[in-house]
Amino acid sequence: MSQPPTPGSPVLPVPPKIVKRLSGIVGETHVITDPDRLLVYESDGLTAYRVTPRAVVLPASTDEVARVVEILHAEGIEVVPRGAGTGLSGGALATENGVVVGMARMNRILEIDPENRLARLQPGVVNAHLTEATRPHGLYYAPDPSSQSTCTLGGNVAENSGGPHCLKYGVTSRYVTGLTVVLAGGRVVQLGGAGGARHASLDLVGLFVGSEGCFGIATEIEVRLLPLAQGVRTLLGIFETMEDAGRAVTAIMASGLMPAAIEIVDQATIRALEASVFAAGYPVDAGAALVVEFDGTEAGLDADADRAEKCCLAEGAREVQRATEPEHRAALWTARKKAFGAMGRIAPDLLVQDATVPRTKLPEVLVRIAQIGESYDIKIANVFHAGDGNLHPNLLFDRQNASELERVEHASKEIMKLCVEVGGTITGEHGVGIDKRDYMPLVHNETELEMLRSVKELFDPDGLFNPGKVLPSRAAPGSESPAGMTS
Amino acid sequence: MTLGSATPLSDVVSAEALEPASGGSARLALGREPDAYVSPGSVQEVVEVLEWARATSSAVLPVGTGAHVGDRRAERPYVALSTARMTGIEIYEPADLTLTAKAGTGLAELGGMTGEHRQWLPFDPMDAAKRTLGGLAAAGVTGPLWAGYGHVRNHVLGMTVVCGDGRALRLGGRVVKNVAGFDLIKPMVGSRGRLAVITAVTVRLFPVPTLDRVLVLEAADLASLVPTARAVATAPTLPASIVLSLSTGAASFLVRLHGADETVDADQRMLEAHAGVSFAAKEGTEAEALLAATRDAGADAEVLLYASTLPSQLGALLDSIQGALRGVDCVVVADVAEGCARVAFSGAGYSDAVLEMCAGVEALGGTVAVHRCPIDASPAALSTPLSPDAHEIGEGVKRIFDPSGVLL
Repeated sequence: MSQPPTPGSPVLPVPPKIVKRLSGIVGETHVITDPDRLLVYESDGLTAYRVTPRAVVLPASTDEVARVVEILHAEGIEVVPRGAGTGLSGGALATENGVVVGMARMNRILEIDPENRLARLQPGVVNAHLTEATRPHGLYYAPDPSSQSTCTLGGNVAENSGGPHCLKYGVTSRYVTGLTVVLAGGRVVQLGGAGGARHASLDLVGLFVGSEGCFGIATEIEVRLLPLAQGVRTLLGIFETMEDAGRAVTAIMASGLMPAAIEIVDQATIRALEASVFAAGYPVDAGAALVVEFDGTEAGLDADADRAEKCCLAEGAREVQRATEPEHRAALWTARKKAFGAMGRIAPDLLVQDATVPRTKLPEVLVRIAQIGESYDIKIANVFHAGDGNLHPNLLFDRQNASELERVEHASKEIMKLCVEVGGTITGEHGVGIDKRDYMPLVHNETELEMLRSVKELFDPDGLFNPGKVLPSRAAPGSESPAGMTS
Repeated sequence: MTLGSATPLSDVVSAEALEPASGGSARLALGREPDAYVSPGSVQEVVEVLEWARATSSAVLPVGTGAHVGDRRAERPYVALSTARMTGIEIYEPADLTLTAKAGTGLAELGGMTGEHRQWLPFDPMDAAKRTLGGLAAAGVTGPLWAGYGHVRNHVLGMTVVCGDGRALRLGGRVVKNVAGFDLIKPMVGSRGRLAVITAVTVRLFPVPTLDRVLVLEAADLASLVPTARAVATAPTLPASIVLSLSTGAASFLVRLHGADETVDADQRMLEAHAGVSFAAKEGTEAEALLAATRDAGADAEVLLYASTLPSQLGALLDSIQGALRGVDCVVVADVAEGCARVAFSGAGYSDAVLEMCAGVEALGGTVAVHRCPIDASPAALSTPLSPDAHEIGEGVKRIFDPSGVLL
């Protein structure tokens, strides 16, 4: 974690005349200044960080967003865009001088175009709702973050979100074909759009996706849809150890198979899940469980599943089950996706790490993460996208315990350093936000960071969109250690 | 003006770097020939060349094979910087399904290496066998296999580049998911050397499918194949590629299916039932020859352009193209799933035809991008202009990577 902002920061109220102007645009009820109601917006999914915004504005259209941003930027007030607030890196954390601009009211699907397999929607549309709406057309939206029942497409665009099935289908940026964005000062700009000349211009849509609210606000999103898979096969491999499960992942991927998803759940997570309302029949005495899924044309799926089963057994699986009933498959996935929630049974707080490593390094890295946990006396539960090498060690703690919090910070940093050392990166899908901002020098030198700052300045010359996120402060001249790397 | 007259290029690079590279200047039709060729052997030599160019107010055009840089015009002396001497695989761990190679490494060479492990790069742009990995990333042209596998830009995981002012950068990394900072790889892929010189690329690989079958339907004209093509494109499956092709007066429709034998059989049956047709199925060398002929049709043509619109308007798009080019012996290869057609032809008097095509395609809400045309016309003047916003932001990105405008 980066150094948390001071909790309970004093609120600097937005001057009444500005509140009045904002209310004139979005309506009085959609400008929140009441300190009690502002508490809802003091953090996102990374609850260790809390800052109360000066106000929250909830516009309903691109035009309203543009006019709100124009007013706030003219007054030098920072704008923090916010989707559903499910982000795990503090990307939607308010700033002390900032006003949160929430997308909750911009939740309409504007068009579904089955002929071209496209949808156009507002950023507040919930990820899973898009697939529900397109399913009658035989289509769906592929990226499926674990929070998909709550998280929004706008947040997915900001974070370039992934999900279990991104192993086969790729992350958000592969599916976003066009954007309407509100940039600094309220300028409305169209980027891309299906049917446009991708052969002629720079990929500005791809640049905007994953910019974590630092460039502007996406107010309309055009996405590509895929045809629903004809069939699906879901396997549950039961292993005595995480290392065995890790080797099975490598074996499956090296065998030429292309699973839709491969997920690992470790023993600590299994026990938390099976004690919760999300219990799905994962054996509590297993060292690790592997969920492997194949989808596509019905014919051939059984053969793929057979080959994956052999890989698991060859690497020491004590048993491989098949979820033959849709209800069983749904239960396995619900449990997997709700695992973070079930962690509450173990500790009141958790920090979800998101480093990614080359897949072949998984067995080694999992052992070393366990050792890091032991050395700092921090309980770590693992549940992650094994096929992508995208780890999610959950560091469990109680933030009221200052010593424990400090040990979590050290352990977290060591895990990131470890993952970078083996050829990985600090975040695979959750984003940098404020959480990993100060660890950016682990993966970027100062020249590269300066390049990122320049791109931020191109879109946001006055630094008023989501300041303090992603980019660490410039290193002091002559400084040997990069910013944020002191311990 | 003599290029770099105060400080000759030979002062900053090795003699070997100044030896003409074989085949490295195949099609540098930019309005003027390069004033010099240089083939750096290392990232440091690329840095030296770019710093020299900035100091001497010279321009640099990065090229892989040099076959695909005819989209701009050189108004001043320039050096063609070839990556031909920067070759070789740096990291290849088959179990990770990722590979890092220097930019000048040929796709054919990579294919040989990865094929030993039954892995491949699922891209099939025109001239694929002659392209380099750096050139592929710079061009960002995937080919019709994007339908089943996604675009090049989705599978470039990392790059090392040297910016126009000599700054060397690493973008991305070696892992398949990475959001540590803004995604600078996306604008770099497809920038065609305007932002930086790409010196190495890391890509995601895929398992070679058990079976690669091509379904074929032939006809006397494209228009009669469009309904079948659209039926396949909207069928409830995801073929690897869907292509309509017109070459030497013959029209054909090709659907490529990948997977296990029983999967491909089932997909073929379903598509035939859905479209109400019966395909001829080709596999092995016969299929490979057919695919290569379609992929590379028009590769040597004087005019090369891409026309795009929504996939549902494919018929109207093809009508616009063929209407504007009536009487011209042209190659049209349409990616049915993307609604994009590659058009190639040779001969004089093309400007009016291209402008007529632009007007027709733009009336459909689409765009035309000219990638290559003879030197007496400007590709930019014949292409659909970018929106002012996209142009302004794009120029801003260009200034960040290449503040002195060294790169053409």
